[in-house]
Amino acid sequence: MLRRLLSLYGLLFFVFIYAPILLVVIYSFNANTLNMMIWDGFTLDWYRQIFGMETSITQSATYVDSTDQLYAAVRTSLIVAFSTSAFSTVFGTALALAVARYRFRLAGFYRTMMMVPMIMPDIVLGIALLIFFITIGMNLSLLTIIIGQSTFLISYVFVTVSARLAEFDTSVEEASADLGATPAQTFRKVTLPGIAPGILGGWLLSFIISMDDLVITYFIAGTGNTTLPIHIWGMLRRGIKPEINAIATLMLLFTLVIAAIGLYFRSRRQK
Amino acid sequence: MPAPLEIINARKVFRTPEGGSLTALDGVSLKLATAEFVTLLGPSGCGKTTLLRTISGFETLDAGDILIDGTAVTQLPAHRRPVNTVFQRYALFNHMSVARNVGYALEIAGRDKREIRTRVGEMLELVGLTGLEKRTISQLSGGQQQRVALARALAGKPKLLLLDEPLSALDKNLRQKMQQELKALQRELGIGFVFVTHDQEEALTMSDRIAVLAHGQIQQIGAPSQLYQSPANLFTADFLGESNLLPVALDGQSARIGDGQGFAAARPAGAATLLLRPEALGLARPQGPALSFTGVIRETYYTGKDHQVALETPAFGTLHALLRSGSTPLDLGAELTLHAPADDLHLIDEVAP
Repeated sequence: MLRRLLSLYGLLFFVFIYAPILLVVIYSFNANTLNMMIWDGFTLDWYRQIFGMETSITQSATYVDSTDQLYAAVRTSLIVAFSTSAFSTVFGTALALAVARYRFRLAGFYRTMMMVPMIMPDIVLGIALLIFFITIGMNLSLLTIIIGQSTFLISYVFVTVSARLAEFDTSVEEASADLGATPAQTFRKVTLPGIAPGILGGWLLSFIISMDDLVITYFIAGTGNTTLPIHIWGMLRRGIKPEINAIATLMLLFTLVIAAIGLYFRSRRQK
Repeated sequence: MPAPLEIINARKVFRTPEGGSLTALDGVSLKLATAEFVTLLGPSGCGKTTLLRTISGFETLDAGDILIDGTAVTQLPAHRRPVNTVFQRYALFNHMSVARNVGYALEIAGRDKREIRTRVGEMLELVGLTGLEKRTISQLSGGQQQRVALARALAGKPKLLLLDEPLSALDKNLRQKMQQELKALQRELGIGFVFVTHDQEEALTMSDRIAVLAHGQIQQIGAPSQLYQSPANLFTADFLGESNLLPVALDGQSARIGDGQGFAAARPAGAATLLLRPEALGLARPQGPALSFTGVIRETYYTGKDHQVALETPAFGTLHALLRSGSTPLDLGAELTLHAPADDLHLIDEVAP
């Protein structure tokens, strides 16, 4: 009896979490152009619409935005995500290694300082970055987005790599040195492969967070650089249209693919 | 031929987090003969691991010198020293195959693939793991991992092999088997082994010489039988094997133990300690001079061929004896008299505090 109740509770829990997302996916295939809450048959028109293909949908049901603008937003987002995640991964990993390996004054302080950007309210960080860029006279551009996002994404990489380093047995590094490897060889052949899952995880995490960051990016994006989340936010302000479901579903799919790649490499490493 | 290893007056002091200092090595000197198996034996914290790590280059000495094969390596970093180590928990590279683990030193040295493959094959044959080249480390048992660690350390043909309690993680049967194999391997290879352990039985079985360490100093160094039969001080006597230590008073010609029994001892007058190993005590009274101890049996353990007996005596407290199993009943609480021949007794010039 208790087991059944627990199972029911578990089921409700997952419904609570995933039902809204599932609904978005289902509605993205709904043919009803007037009221997307009512199922009216299966269609791929919303997806065709996104990619600018011929559809049977009347203009009134879609946003006026052209497909080109959407593409531009996706491109901007990808440029930002690749740059920030690469930058954050290199510096976050270097920081994690330094804090884990070297004993220096205020190491604990630095460690804490690396956590702070993660718990800092996005609004505060966004405003702070905006004021900072204006103060130093930097025009808001793609570069300010990349710099701004990196300030907190480094923290995510730092935390992920640090966790991996904490469980990494340093005696294998000694074994490598003992067998004649220089510190550089040891790092390349032993340390890096050992913490690679952490680095990869940090990279994917920072990539995904960068891809869907809205609040901070909104403050520091300026006018010419619309990322995908900002673009979607703009679309939403003109009412919720079924097209948005298709975009959301594609983003979800993209995120799942990246996560799957991450898990795949992780499992391969552990074998 | 230069000694494979020579340590001259090595000193090392660690700073503790509380701001104090801890002397790990307090003037240690040690010289290995060619192809010698030397064991560093001592309780934890005695400095044996620190000494090993200064030889491999993971710790630097505050003072003193280390020579390997006649060349000073004191200032060299670990990766430039011609020694290899078998680590306590093996420290194998989990992301590499068995073959790459074993061939790592050669891969680093930039040898060509065919040479590495041949050498890896030889090494695996040497440790009895032929055919397991492609396995990953997690697919091996503890004993097999131990062998891979050994093969990996030997593949680069080191002048000296260091072993840091390599058998401590194995179960008893496997440990004894590996002890014999290691000893045989060392004879076959003809290189120096420095073996660290806190297990005195292991030290006695395998070593050519044992260096007993305590408080950062070598208490005594010598052949296992020498250390066992004539330890130089109370620490060695107590640490190596079981011992009965009885205070004696010396008057120049003879020695007297607490209950008045005496024996001949041509030593300067003063106080000393008599060492009686459990197997020196027996049921039969030997011919010639002897010491006799009468007491009550407090504990007996049957070990197969022997009985371990704890005998409570009025004058000396509990004495430990190892008696051949025989017809004499050894009942708890029964009175028993044990004898030890009084010629050739070993005295230690130290008095127990």
